Amino acid sequence: MTQLLLFNVFNGLIVGAFYALMALGLSLILNLSGVINFAHGGFLAIGGYLAYTLIPYVGFWGALVLAPLLTAVIGFIVERVLIVRVYGRDPLYSLLLTFGLAFIFEDGTRFIWGAQSLPFQVPGWLMTPLSSDYFFLTGYRLFMVLVVAIAVIGLFLILTRTRLGIRIRAGTLDLETVSVLGVNVRILRNMNFGLGVYLAGLAGVLAVGQLGLQPTIGASLIMPSFVAIIVGGLGSLPGTLLGGLLIGVASGITTVFFPSATEAVIYVMMAVVLLIRPRGLLGEEGRF
Amino acid sequence: MTSDMFSKRIDRRTVIKTAALAGVAQITSPFVITARAADNVKIGLDNPLTGTYAAVGKNELIGCQLAIEQINAKGGILGRKAELLVEDSTSGDAGTAVQKARKLIDRDKIDFLLGNVNSALALAMAGVSSEKGVLHVVPGGHTDAITGATCHWNVFRVCNTTQMEANAVAGTLIKDYGKKWYYITPDYAFGHTLQAGMEKASATLGGSKVGGDLTPLGTTDFSSYLIKAQAAKPDVIIFLVQGDDMVNALKQAVQFGLEKKIHLAGAQQELEPLEGLPPEARIGTWVFEWYWNQPGVPHVAEFVAAIKKKTGRVPTARTWFGFVSTWTCALAANTAKSLEAVKMAKALQGFKLPPEIALMPDGAFYRAGQNQLIPNLYVGNAQAKGSAPDDLFHVTNVVKGADIAGTVAESGCKMTWPA
Repeated sequence: MTQLLLFNVFNGLIVGAFYALMALGLSLILNLSGVINFAHGGFLAIGGYLAYTLIPYVGFWGALVLAPLLTAVIGFIVERVLIVRVYGRDPLYSLLLTFGLAFIFEDGTRFIWGAQSLPFQVPGWLMTPLSSDYFFLTGYRLFMVLVVAIAVIGLFLILTRTRLGIRIRAGTLDLETVSVLGVNVRILRNMNFGLGVYLAGLAGVLAVGQLGLQPTIGASLIMPSFVAIIVGGLGSLPGTLLGGLLIGVASGITTVFFPSATEAVIYVMMAVVLLIRPRGLLGEEGRF
Repeated sequence: MTSDMFSKRIDRRTVIKTAALAGVAQITSPFVITARAADNVKIGLDNPLTGTYAAVGKNELIGCQLAIEQINAKGGILGRKAELLVEDSTSGDAGTAVQKARKLIDRDKIDFLLGNVNSALALAMAGVSSEKGVLHVVPGGHTDAITGATCHWNVFRVCNTTQMEANAVAGTLIKDYGKKWYYITPDYAFGHTLQAGMEKASATLGGSKVGGDLTPLGTTDFSSYLIKAQAAKPDVIIFLVQGDDMVNALKQAVQFGLEKKIHLAGAQQELEPLEGLPPEARIGTWVFEWYWNQPGVPHVAEFVAAIKKKTGRVPTARTWFGFVSTWTCALAANTAKSLEAVKMAKALQGFKLPPEIALMPDGAFYRAGQNQLIPNLYVGNAQAKGSAPDDLFHVTNVVKGADIAGTVAESGCKMTWPA
């Protein structure tokens, strides 16, 4: 029993790391631009499908680099053409816009690549467990955690060490002042949106290594990301990371005792956090 | 630059509302519009085109469309042209499925209702069709109740009951792979009855259950269930999940190397998920309800060629379900020489499908008093590579439905006819 529990805690951390990656992109966009990007799951799916299409030409590693970048380019364009029009309006507008986009992306991928799951292959040597006792620690899953770690560290470096990152953080606190100081807020938002979508694309490529590649893949992953943000606290990227890991572990542990509630438990957690600490675990005061 | 360029702060409530909206998003779907004419005989298909079951729903639709073409080429239904009206039922929202069924019956005045892939939706639709007295064929919803405890005189089913699938595969699994089974089961009507069926079938052969988990429909990560399953040390892990869930579960099980320690198997398997799996994950012992590669069975090759011409791919069991369901409507009307539902339903009691529709070595018939099609079932193993790119299943044993279907009394169906 102890071993089973321990396995599931570890396993939950792996699963949670993935949720966190998706939630970070969502959180990044939400914090600076105030847009709840409903189409995030759609971008994730596009990342996965682009990787599938690119693999015959550039191989898995090439696709891992290129597909998220291409997804980010689509993100740039979407922001420039559509999202830019709803800034400063009631949040309902951006909600409706990205909600519609989510549908368009899902049906678009269905139209282009078909409704059926596509077989996605990652290099064989990644697909084997490292030891027969710890069989859930496969090369691929550790690799996934590694990529998430690199992405998270990279993101924090960008945010703390580069001019762009410092502006993004400053803009999150007070966009008007940042603008008055001569920063081009339009470009800042565009870059920020692209960065968020890049993370979605990256999550997409990683996801299809162990999930079926089908048009609904984004829709099934976006809910845990929302929950991760709410549990971790709005406005806090470390909070989002923590939220993702927590819900992963919580659903892992629930499997041991009450398997049919693994999905429900993350919502219960969200409810408890909202009741006891409405701003989320690491959320900043005054965001509600 | 004006100040309204700047965002309003998003508050927590908005995010929560958004999350709620995301939930709703998964059950709403666009509307499908089809052209229609007044004097045609109308067949209404209320089946998933979006969501988890979009792929299998689409294949059923293709089968229906081929059948409509053939029916019209052969003189239509009672000399009138047959027409297919299509509605998206969604993959999981019974409310939408029922509303679309009512719309098809009340507004479009359909003569036949077809659907649904999802057992729960099929049951809900059967409630509507029997209330309205419309002949209803369920192509691919497997839960036993449809032709069991809640059977109706007007509701016929093409795919097998879950108990039939369980009975077909249980013997092979016990004999070749062992008696201790662990279940990974989807948490809805289909999964519950299939697991009950497997437990019953295995118990009669001396098998036992060492554990099992109910997984929510749409589960993406099966790792924690697989950890539990392995810890229970079963001989066989029985995967009863379907569609995308099956793809996710098998993909992860193979990554964990479980297939090297424990036999992976299940009851119902389909070509769609196998096609979505990388070759190394196309493994395990399963039941197919129809398979395209049946050398020597008459008319199968023509059917495969016709579907390939339409879609470029081989037909799956789902394509066959749609095909048979639609043909059943035409055969019922032409045999009864009437479009009255009661007369047609009576004509289908014990009705044997012609070989060019049945496409099976022993044929298929609707069992009287239960309205359940009794076909052949195909037991075998998934394979990474076969004789052709789409040949992903190796049939080892063709089972006669009549041998494993139990009796009508056992099905629990007590049919009452309108006075």
